[in-house]
Amino acid sequence: MHKLSFKALLLMGAVLITSLSSPIVSAKGVYQSGPDFITQVFAPQIAEPAVLWLSADIRQQAQNILGRKVAGLRVRYHRSGTKTAWILEEVGKEMPITIGVVIEQNKIEQVKILAYRESRGGEVRYPAYTQQYRGASLTEKQKLDQNIDGITGATLSVWAVNKVAALALYYHIQTERLN
Amino acid sequence: MDIKKSIIFNLRWHRRIGLSVFVVMIFLAITGFALNHSPVLNLSKINLTSDWLLSWYGVAPQKTEGYPLADNWVYGTGTGELYFDNQPLGYCPPPLAAVAATEQMNLALCNGALLLLTKQGQLLETFSQVQGLPASSNRLVTLDQQVVIVSGTGAWEFDLDSLAIKALTDLSALEQASSIEPSPLPSAFGNKDSLEGISLETLIIDLHSGRFFGSAGVLFVDLVGLLICILSITGLRAWVNHQRLRKQ
Repeated sequence: MHKLSFKALLLMGAVLITSLSSPIVSAKGVYQSGPDFITQVFAPQIAEPAVLWLSADIRQQAQNILGRKVAGLRVRYHRSGTKTAWILEEVGKEMPITIGVVIEQNKIEQVKILAYRESRGGEVRYPAYTQQYRGASLTEKQKLDQNIDGITGATLSVWAVNKVAALALYYHIQTERLN
Repeated sequence: MDIKKSIIFNLRWHRRIGLSVFVVMIFLAITGFALNHSPVLNLSKINLTSDWLLSWYGVAPQKTEGYPLADNWVYGTGTGELYFDNQPLGYCPPPLAAVAATEQMNLALCNGALLLLTKQGQLLETFSQVQGLPASSNRLVTLDQQVVIVSGTGAWEFDLDSLAIKALTDLSALEQASSIEPSPLPSAFGNKDSLEGISLETLIIDLHSGRFFGSAGVLFVDLVGLLICILSITGLRAWVNHQRLRKQ
């Protein structure tokens, strides 16, 4: 009887530890490096690196889209023809998410999570989620013109990806205007 | 099971569990008292000063050293803010490992990020590991205005225009390279970490919840909580058994 109770206690402990550890499974990691992303996006062509200087107007609009101050005087991107690729970072909850966005003719062609550092919300990296951005463009109010379905438990990461997608579209439009 | 056996069984487990958790229970009680009276004890206003405690929280103690440029200083704080003289430039994951200067710009190498700065100390852009900065880069040197990034595994020429890196084949060239060495920071720049830090209240909360020891600590406190519940049940059972025995 005593042995049985001890085993039951051990089993309870094991169940507790297993159930408590399951949400800790992390999605952290670098999934693709920036140079590899650029090479893959533009293959077989080679994209030229370029910079967009953030004038006061562009900076103000970028800050409106992100809802925070924008650091840096310029933003780097790659271009080949009418296609541009941007690697931008935005904080989800606590850590920055590195996101690659490819834009052609003012529409998003691809969104890819290159690095995810948060302990939760990593579902945003799945193609089933990122494919929703394909074909999205920017409205006059600097918002995406497509509805993006959220992910339960990953709201802040979803918001971060939405902001970066809108910001990349805005930056792309500025490069077209300046060219 | 008759009542005597039940009493012995119950008391045995009550004793075992009590002995195994009593130290932690006392610790949780003391930290709980401290947290309950935190406003009176001003725990939130007492900042930790111990270097190892701060480094446990990932806050590197601010170096009293900086990197002197021609007329300015570049230095980082323990919380990761990069400064150009007294001007904050943005987040630079600590520690600040190296600073280099060319005619075009200044560069600051942090933990996994290279910040490109204008000569006037404005942040141009950040070059991160995802963008191609070699892992564990820890040194910046200049060779005839060419910036070279050095890590434990090699050295790379860094193109300031395209941000492309190219492996340096002739490592002996590094012997002629110049670098900016850290020097004691003038007192005029003060301690930028004094305004923000880790409070004693945060430390006690983290100890109380087990978060101080990471997810293993949280699970341990959960387990202790479960054992305390079992302890109270076995205690209640001991009382019930005692009543039943008295009736018999």
